[in-house]
Amino acid sequence: MVTRRALVGGSLAGGVAAPLLRASAAETGAGVTESEFILGMSAAFSGPSRGLGIELYRGATAYFEHVNGQGGVRGRRVSMNIYDDGYQPDPCVKNTTTLMLEDQVFLLFGYVGTPTVTRVLPLLKKFQDRSMYLFFPFTGAQPQRQPPYGDFAFNLRASYAQETGGLVDNFVDVGRRRIAVFYQADAYGRSGWAGVRAALGRHDLEIAGEATYRRGSKFTSVMRRQVEILKEADPQAVICIGAYAACAAFARDAVDMDLRVPIANLSFVGSENMLKLLTEGREPEDAARYTELLVNSQVVPSYEDTSIPAVREYRDLMQRYDPDPPADLVTEEYTPFQHSFVSLEGFLDAKLMAEVLQRLGDNPSRAGLEEAVFTVRDVDLGIGELVSFRPDQRQGLQRVYYTVVDEGRFVTLEDWQERFSLDTA
Amino acid sequence: MQIKRLFQKTLFGIIAMLGVIGLSTSWLAVDTVEGHLSEEYVSNSRNIAKTIADASVDILLNRDLATLQSLIDQFLGIQGIKYIYINNEDGEYMAHTFVPGIPEEIRNSDPLSTETVNRDLPGIGACVEVGSPILAGEAGTVHVGMDRGLITLKISAAIGQQVWLIGAAFILGVGGAIWFVHLAAKPIGQVLAYASTLAKSETVAPTDGEALLEREDEAGDLARLFQFFAGAREPPGTGAADAPTGAASAAGEGESAT
Repeated sequence: MVTRRALVGGSLAGGVAAPLLRASAAETGAGVTESEFILGMSAAFSGPSRGLGIELYRGATAYFEHVNGQGGVRGRRVSMNIYDDGYQPDPCVKNTTTLMLEDQVFLLFGYVGTPTVTRVLPLLKKFQDRSMYLFFPFTGAQPQRQPPYGDFAFNLRASYAQETGGLVDNFVDVGRRRIAVFYQADAYGRSGWAGVRAALGRHDLEIAGEATYRRGSKFTSVMRRQVEILKEADPQAVICIGAYAACAAFARDAVDMDLRVPIANLSFVGSENMLKLLTEGREPEDAARYTELLVNSQVVPSYEDTSIPAVREYRDLMQRYDPDPPADLVTEEYTPFQHSFVSLEGFLDAKLMAEVLQRLGDNPSRAGLEEAVFTVRDVDLGIGELVSFRPDQRQGLQRVYYTVVDEGRFVTLEDWQERFSLDTA
Repeated sequence: MQIKRLFQKTLFGIIAMLGVIGLSTSWLAVDTVEGHLSEEYVSNSRNIAKTIADASVDILLNRDLATLQSLIDQFLGIQGIKYIYINNEDGEYMAHTFVPGIPEEIRNSDPLSTETVNRDLPGIGACVEVGSPILAGEAGTVHVGMDRGLITLKISAAIGQQVWLIGAAFILGVGGAIWFVHLAAKPIGQVLAYASTLAKSETVAPTDGEALLEREDEAGDLARLFQFFAGAREPPGTGAADAPTGAASAAGEGESAT
């Protein structure tokens, strides 16, 4: 599960990946040489959540390939040492110690998941004298956004508290006040649960009912008991805090057991993978029945909206480089998506990462990283929301988007009232 | 090996006594081991609950529930821990490890109680639950459910060893008792055979008779007594038909003549 692979930076001319022999990291400082920045990534490349790690990696790789193709960041190519943790905390901790102590990467980038990141944060604190930072993890949980570990991470995406808060507010606005929660029995699920609880509290409401599932559950898992538990609470909406396989299994069983209420999912779910599981092999009418009540929050805009400059750039570079999943880490069957919310997030992460590296100047060092990040003020990544970082603001984006399934794909939800009002139902 | 009737009752008595000792020792051992192991198990569980409670204070006060959940998830990896849940001071469930949900029995119990209770939960099994207050109960309570099946297994293993030892001692004791009884009965048999031979006025093999007559114990005394009676009562050349047939008769006559 912890196989290592040195990611290859893009070739200078043709955009074709080619092996790159890394120079010693000690040439100019840990994780950086005269010709290269070495980033470290631990994510799920195996198991039921592998789609998240793979797509995040693909999106980031598309942008780094582009940067490397343009001559790199101030002449230094960006490469990554990547490891698979299978979305499990212990392998993630092991991978991180390897990245920090053996590989001596410049920084940590693109970690996936709350239970994994939560366990890694104390390591960053322990080795704070090395100025090792975690950049743009794929999780909206609070631990890396607040003391005592908030100083060791920089976030780009909106938090789960913002996502769940938005979902709750919108449901309450359309008259759905009995909100139940289906969540993963771990730190990620608890983080989302806490967000829902706090948001409901602002409306003087409480969680109507709750059910959990075990991390790593597959689409073949039976979630009927969870549906029964939530049906007893008679909810008007269910907010799911989980990964795509389990959430798709829950949505399937909910429809089969006639729990006909909106089922919301957070951005972490991996919307395209979830949609694929729910619709693959079904007739269009049947597929629509399983997906018509889904509403997924996102932390990036729709990749279908080509009026957004960053989306056009993302689609262009994804088409040009079409990054493969890391072959030596991905041993299970997986068909990448041409576009996805997760890969778009990875793409934006990489874009901001390159900007930060650029701001390090000609003599980059870890010690200068934090200062460089704080020079990011009102930076436009091309999605219509400016990004700023300050010592008291270590999260770049705040906006949450809502999407629903129409004609077999996720599109932006325009009108909550029309789609989910109790009167409409 | 044939044991004389006289000693059979003695042998049965010894075996019965060993049985009673074995059973009572086993019962005592079972009771002691079960008590000690259960006590140790509950004590360890309390220590775990206290450790979580101590570690939870800051996390709960900072309202960082993801970290709190991460903390209890790590403890769930310890062998024997079936579930953990944490209530805040109002009794709300702030973090737990139940799948697919918090069992009804626990929902209906007092969330702030730290008493040790036995539970039999659907999908989880038999557990002993211990509790520990967080910040003297001002910030809530931690509850840890330990697998009673594991306690039973450990107790069974410990008791199994004890019973095996006691059983082996019982078998050795019975074997030893049989051997000793047989050893004690053997000279009596020889005396009986000797007396019977004398009574029938048959010739005693010199080796058998000499060995018996040379013994310094009660068997030798009896043999010499029988020989004396046989020599005093029967003049040389008298037929064997007049002699008494039973050894007991011979012994009785001998006693009365003395």
